[in-house]
Amino acid sequence: MKPEDEAWMRLREHASSRITPGFPDRVLRAARAKPSPLLVSHFAMCAGTAALCLAAVALFHAGNSGDDEASNLASWNEVAAQANDLEQGL
Amino acid sequence: MDESSTTTLGERVRRAQRGDQPAMRELIVSYQRRVAGFVYAVTGRSDSVEDIAQVVFIKMARSVARLKAPEQFEPWLFRLARNTCIDHLRRQKLRRIFLPFAPEHENVPEPAGAVDSEELDALRHALSQLRPKDRALIALVQEGRSHAEIADVFRTSVAAVKARLHRAREQLRQHYTSDET
Repeated sequence: MKPEDEAWMRLREHASSRITPGFPDRVLRAARAKPSPLLVSHFAMCAGTAALCLAAVALFHAGNSGDDEASNLASWNEVAAQANDLEQGL
Repeated sequence: MDESSTTTLGERVRRAQRGDQPAMRELIVSYQRRVAGFVYAVTGRSDSVEDIAQVVFIKMARSVARLKAPEQFEPWLFRLARNTCIDHLRRQKLRRIFLPFAPEHENVPEPAGAVDSEELDALRHALSQLRPKDRALIALVQEGRSHAEIADVFRTSVAAVKARLHRAREQLRQHYTSDET
């Protein structure tokens, strides 16, 4: 047997020593269990957070675009008034 | 594996597929050592071997009914194990981005007495120098999987498996021997 093979054998032995008694029964119990309510509530919380973030972004965007529109309109009025004044002056 | 044991395994898998719990239990008992060894070779952490092996067998129990060829149970199980290990390592990597630990917390040594031989320590060190996918490749070969089966697990060609395996073995040998000297 090569020293490498012996090392692989020891690796398997060491790994299987980490499996505690009752492992198959624990696995079968866990496999039969439905997804925990904790997991479901975790997903619900993620979805809620995402919805809140989306709403906040939409509100911020709507507020910003309203402000931009008002400031554009004000600048446009100012330009129009200046043009009027200039016309009357001529 | 001889023909009779394949038949026995196939029969056991078929019973498990019909929901027979003792057959499922027998499958877990027969493969827990090999899956644990595989998980350890790929992840390099003995403290997570049981948790990851448990995830592998839970996946097995929940999806064995969908396995079309019961004779292909072994390669299928090791594909589950390989994917679970790679997912685990990927999640760990992501966690490191969000929760950066200091290097001394990253490489917590195995508990005292856990690694009791120099050969095992050298092999662990050499494996840790390889990419996780190469570790999985070598561990699958050690599990006696054929090149064709490994190609199926990695969804690649047999020629690609041979080339990659050659490189991975070379690398492993280099690190293994340099660690021993």
